[in-house]
Amino acid sequence: MGLELSDSALVARCRAGDDSAWALLVDRFSRYVYAICSQGFRLSRPDAEDVFQDVFTKAYENLSKLRNDDAIRPWLAQLTRRLCIDRLREATREVPVEELEPDGMDELIETLDDALTVREAMALIGEPCGDMLDRFFARDQSYRTIGDELDLPAGTIASRISRCLEKLKGAMEDSGALVSPEVG
Amino acid sequence: MATFDIEELGRLIAALPPTPEGWVRAAQELPQVRRGLDDLLARAEADVALRARLIADLESTLADAGIEPTRHVLADVRERLRSP
Repeated sequence: MGLELSDSALVARCRAGDDSAWALLVDRFSRYVYAICSQGFRLSRPDAEDVFQDVFTKAYENLSKLRNDDAIRPWLAQLTRRLCIDRLREATREVPVEELEPDGMDELIETLDDALTVREAMALIGEPCGDMLDRFFARDQSYRTIGDELDLPAGTIASRISRCLEKLKGAMEDSGALVSPEVG
Repeated sequence: MATFDIEELGRLIAALPPTPEGWVRAAQELPQVRRGLDDLLARAEADVALRARLIADLESTLADAGIEPTRHVLADVRERLRSP
């Protein structure tokens, strides 16, 4: 069970009490929620952890209230934004709520939505490409570390990453993963 | 069809750094922890001694029941013990 399962199918299985589906849902959206807390609201690590756990606790408790299972991603984004604001409000009660959300949050969420789509496509290109791209870009590992951990010559990592990016671009174009609503 | 160039792809991959593993694991284990807590608290309603142990030494009692007493679990149980 993995990326072949759509968001709506995953939500349906979670609602039916499938623990492995819940684990997959958390895995699928954990980076997204974390990024909103840490990059968007710049919460401290303890606050970000509290909000992160609160988001998934409330999601677990309220999945039955989700009207459209396909809308799990925006629902989680909205829930995360609300809980981040609640957390900030606890510390700064005198600041109006509308001023607690940093500027550019809608744009950040759009970027993170695109990033999630790219991440889904990374699963299509197989290993070690997906792992290598994640290590280099998301985990900020050096060529040497990547080479050591994947048992590959460090001198070949740069060219491999370049080829993997081309492969990813091709996979996304082939799959039509990025059909723009504007141009259909 | 909209596409991203190579540079944008790198930027977008970097936009989602990994979440600390412990956070993810705790969230993934939520259903099992919830069931364990529900069972424990139901037993505590009928068992005065167990309830007293929970109140006196929550962390150890949870650990004895096989529930890892994380900060979030402790806060949840304390709230549930307070509610009528």
